[in-house]
Amino acid sequence: MTPKRSWTVRTREAAVGALPPEKLLPDDQPAYVDSWIYVFGVATLAGLIVIIGSGMILSLKGPAWWHDTGVGHFFNSIHLWAVELFFFTMVVHLWGKYWMAAWRGGRTRVWVTGAITFLIAIPAALTGYVSQQNFDAQWISTQAKDAMNAIGAGAFFNVTNFGQMYSWHILLFPVAVVALVAGHVLLVRRHGVVPPFELSARTGAAAPSAAAPSGAPHADPPVGGGGAPS
Amino acid sequence: MSPMGAMFDVHSGRLTPMGAVFNLNNPAHVVHWHFIQLSVSNIVVIAVMLVVFALAIVIPFPGAARRQAARERWRGEP
Repeated sequence: MTPKRSWTVRTREAAVGALPPEKLLPDDQPAYVDSWIYVFGVATLAGLIVIIGSGMILSLKGPAWWHDTGVGHFFNSIHLWAVELFFFTMVVHLWGKYWMAAWRGGRTRVWVTGAITFLIAIPAALTGYVSQQNFDAQWISTQAKDAMNAIGAGAFFNVTNFGQMYSWHILLFPVAVVALVAGHVLLVRRHGVVPPFELSARTGAAAPSAAAPSGAPHADPPVGGGGAPS
Repeated sequence: MSPMGAMFDVHSGRLTPMGAVFNLNNPAHVVHWHFIQLSVSNIVVIAVMLVVFALAIVIPFPGAARRQAARERWRGEP
């Protein structure tokens, strides 16, 4: 008879089984990751860290500080331009992964968490525009309310309600984005970076597969087997 | 506005950092085609994203050949 194990032991064993340390924090990547197109996911993460950090400082100091002081303007700009870079790099990352068909090889959840993160990040940014506490925010909110009312969301998502929009912007949306990004990254670590399409499968030649280190993620089906274009 | 990244403030008599390289004190220029309406600034950003995407695929990553050679040496392959 085996002793009854506590939930902490079961959780630890499940976590280590799904993501052993050498997989969670690898010291090498497959050869195909040596490409600039793989940089944009990390650049998006860097942008998110700057957004969260500058957002914390803005929320600590308040609207009078970010509107009326030089340092406040600086951090306001840091926050804005980090968001611009976040979306810029996220879209390039999205394009790269789309054309790689990055959902191949059992990576559906990786793709879905990334896509949902993108969709949640959009209102996370838009609520920032109506949280500025200036005439620009008033103008945007009074324009946006018509769209919200048209889709039937105006009753519980009132863009002219500063308190509600600010709460969404600095708590609910960031928590959702950070949680989704964390899950996305852990899933990438678990399944490995998606390999490129094999030219041999496309041309029909019996060429050896692309060189990859021993720690490479599991093999993908040949082109056509994973929903890839023929 | 000065292209040097600063402009002269007539009230304080000092050079102050300017907010933008271009004069933003006017309505945005937009491109309108059927139901598609995009500001010129957004079109520029989209174009830059496409250029960056293409360059990221074409430009070789620094040190890729060196790391690949090291991997092959480690595995004992020619």
